[in-house]
Amino acid sequence: MRTRTRYLPLEHAREGMVLIDAARDNYERTLLPAGAVLTEENLHQLLAHHVQFVCVSQTETRTPEQIAVDAAESARRVLKVFQRANLTDPLMAALFNQTLIYRSA
Amino acid sequence: MTPSRITQAQVLGTKHELPVFPRVVLQILETLEDPDACLTVLAQHIEHEPVITASVLSLANRAGTNSHGSVATTDVFTAVSLVGLSRVREVAIQAILRGFVKDLAPTGAMESFWAHSLATAMCGIEVARQAPAEVGVDAALIACLLHDVGQLWLRRFEPQRMQVAMLMATPRGVAIDTAERNLFGVDHGAIGGWLAESWGLPQEIVKSITYHHTPESALEVPLVAVAHVSDVLSNALDLTHSPDSKVLWLSHASCATLGLTWGPESQQLFGKIEARSRHAFASLAA
Repeated sequence: MRTRTRYLPLEHAREGMVLIDAARDNYERTLLPAGAVLTEENLHQLLAHHVQFVCVSQTETRTPEQIAVDAAESARRVLKVFQRANLTDPLMAALFNQTLIYRSA
Repeated sequence: MTPSRITQAQVLGTKHELPVFPRVVLQILETLEDPDACLTVLAQHIEHEPVITASVLSLANRAGTNSHGSVATTDVFTAVSLVGLSRVREVAIQAILRGFVKDLAPTGAMESFWAHSLATAMCGIEVARQAPAEVGVDAALIACLLHDVGQLWLRRFEPQRMQVAMLMATPRGVAIDTAERNLFGVDHGAIGGWLAESWGLPQEIVKSITYHHTPESALEVPLVAVAHVSDVLSNALDLTHSPDSKVLWLSHASCATLGLTWGPESQQLFGKIEARSRHAFASLAA
């Protein structure tokens, strides 16, 4: 089953989702390790510790065709945002590449 | 076109036509190191401001809803116990400055202005958190929310020439600050900096507003780098889905100051920024 990694605001996180990265509080203390499955109880504990978002694995529900269409649209948009940027500048090119990867994921 | 230079005296001469800067923001900054004093400042202010009260209590009530039922939060002290002082402070600062900017903005300018400011502020919080240099998250929030305030001044007091500057900039790929300097002799950063200084904001915030397009003039203040990079990132990630989102230039020295090299580790930063932005925009719409 194909999955996607997503950072979600805590209010969008649901029971059964799996943490890809540890959930930490504002002091960088680990509250739940990577691999933990979210439950009603631990979601409330994260809320009580003022955690604002979590990194989870989500099941991919899109068809391969839809994934390709979405990736093309994302790439088109990123290219438009960077159309006047100097992509021969290595730092700008690196930012462009990471943005493209992020939007295509 | 010969520029008719806008001067600091001219900008400050319009202060009587502008809303008074909310003093509570300065008080919050002054009491950052003293949680009890900060809480007192927030409590005193919030109870007289229904809109801000609603923002803070709504946040707290969402957090207070648990598996055993819901806790109706009716005061800032309970809100702080539920979501933490830093989060209450963040929400209060956003609500206070949004109200101020709304009064400052000319008709029709508020929505897109605030969307970009809020997106930049969400970048600012995350960039400040991972900066190797000590950068205050609250200062980053305020600097980024106000970084373009000089543009509002230009749109309010120089609407026709500002329109020309935007026409010069947009289709030709000229940076807006360059077009402004050609037309006005100064850019919106300088104008915003003059205003921020007159409002009594700390120098690091004043400099961040002043130099967010020309950060290499003031990188002894790391917050300047945060404001610049956050402005670029909010456009790069297209957080506002605006046709105006454009990346033109990125300061190498600012990235070096913040230890940002834009490798695979940036994916985590982008994810955190986007989640924070979605949360902020959802709260705005609520």
